[in-house]
Amino acid sequence: MDNSGKEKEAIQLMADADKKVKTSGSFLGGMFGGPHKVEEACEMYCRAANMFKMAKNWNAAGNAFCQAARIHMQLQNKHDSATSFIDAGNAFKKSDPNEAIKCLNAAVDIYTDMGRFTIAAKHHITIAEIYESELVDIEKAIAHYEQAADYYKGEESNSSANKCLLKVGAYAAQLEQYAKAIEIYEQVGSSTMDNPLLKYSAKEYFFKASLCHFIVDELNAKLAVEKYEEMFPAFSDSRECKLLKKLLDAHEEQNCEAFTEAIKEFDSISRLDQWQTTMLLRIKKTIQGDEGDLK
Amino acid sequence: MAYPRTHNPFADDDDEEEQRRSSGGFDDPQERGMSEAERKQRCLQQEVMRTAESAVASSHRSLGLIYESEKIGSETAEELMRQGEALKRTERMVDNMGQDLRTSQKHINSIKSVWGGLVTYFKAKPETTKPLPEEPVAYQASSNLQNAMSHSKEHEGKYQASHPNLRKLDTGGFGTFASDDSSSSQNGYPANRQLRAAHQTLDNNLDEMSLGLGRLKNLGLGLQSEIENQDTSLDNLLGKVDKLDLKINNTNQQIKNLK
Repeated sequence: MDNSGKEKEAIQLMADADKKVKTSGSFLGGMFGGPHKVEEACEMYCRAANMFKMAKNWNAAGNAFCQAARIHMQLQNKHDSATSFIDAGNAFKKSDPNEAIKCLNAAVDIYTDMGRFTIAAKHHITIAEIYESELVDIEKAIAHYEQAADYYKGEESNSSANKCLLKVGAYAAQLEQYAKAIEIYEQVGSSTMDNPLLKYSAKEYFFKASLCHFIVDELNAKLAVEKYEEMFPAFSDSRECKLLKKLLDAHEEQNCEAFTEAIKEFDSISRLDQWQTTMLLRIKKTIQGDEGDLK
Repeated sequence: MAYPRTHNPFADDDDEEEQRRSSGGFDDPQERGMSEAERKQRCLQQEVMRTAESAVASSHRSLGLIYESEKIGSETAEELMRQGEALKRTERMVDNMGQDLRTSQKHINSIKSVWGGLVTYFKAKPETTKPLPEEPVAYQASSNLQNAMSHSKEHEGKYQASHPNLRKLDTGGFGTFASDDSSSSQNGYPANRQLRAAHQTLDNNLDEMSLGLGRLKNLGLGLQSEIENQDTSLDNLLGKVDKLDLKINNTNQQIKNLK
């Protein structure tokens, strides 16, 4: 793989493209086929960027794509500009997340300007994922997921919107914004329970909503469980509902062992995931907290 | 032997080992005063107990697997729905593109020649064929299937109740109970209470399993009908995109010739 050779070639191309752009800026260059030159320069930037990608020089590739994008903007090619920004974002994802987010934001602005909300939403999700994994800024990730969900709702893509909303709900509950999480889970649960394909996951969402209710207040949880059973009869047959009832009883009696026992029994058949375990631990702390007060 | 066979080879090995261990182990003080037949009976009782317990454990595991499958199935269903929506969006956009191409074709015609321009000016405008997102239609098919399947599920429950294995299991449990009454009742009762509890848990688990399997079946059928719908959508889309591709190439050619 002659990658180092490619890199040198790429650097050469970049230099050539820079020269082209500069010469086209001058008066004479503008007279003698300026636009052609700029377009050629644009293409050279793209080729150079691809070669940098082959050589795994992500920063240089990202920069080259950004240059190409700016030239496209000059030429009023909004589509191409946005595509180049996205390519730049992808290249920067591997080396500099902040730069990536800047590029992706620029691309999203262009797309929303053009009215292409679906693609904008898709890239909001990409940005949110970067915030989730590399930069670990949950607040901003939530903001982007919310924006993506709104755009998807606007475009009548309810399944995609629900996917984003669920992520918002999970993170909101982690950050203890329980009211928001409850609202989201109830909304998603009620919209999926009528759909014959999606109703199998509806009980999962009601379970999560009940857990959030539980952390806030036990009485809320009881009322909520009854409400969900009424709305969605299949919920009462599910093991999640039975577990909730056992947990409510254990919480009323302030019985820590029964609580843990019920959870273990449920876990033995179907594992509880990380989020649910965290929520249940928080609920358990409220039991132990109460016991401490009584003592 | 009317005992349910477990499919776990390790469980069978454990059973044999335990049998060998216990036949030499804690039963010794009581076994001294017993006859050959009674000792055999005790061994058989213990084996019954063990098989019942391993059956319960295996049914527990099966139940877990069923719930896991259901979870995976429901996630697949969500993904499929998203895909279906994306496909519909794509189809809408392709239709839009077709319309745009028609408009540009008219412009090209008017550019090419004056006569062509006059023709297009007087041609009627058959515009605006915007298809609405027809989501509910697709899923009614699955709900019909679902109704049919829920009926058959009820019958399936009845079949299970009369299934030969289950019936034999019950008589097996009560058989040992009856025979133990005659012989030494000290070790007889606990074994049978446990045995009955084990059988009850087994029955409960089996009921839950049948419910779970019914749900899984409906889920699977729903997934199948959704996939079939999407298949036809994809074929339509492919045809449309091919036609569009031809049109775009044509338009490009015309524009190049105009130059």
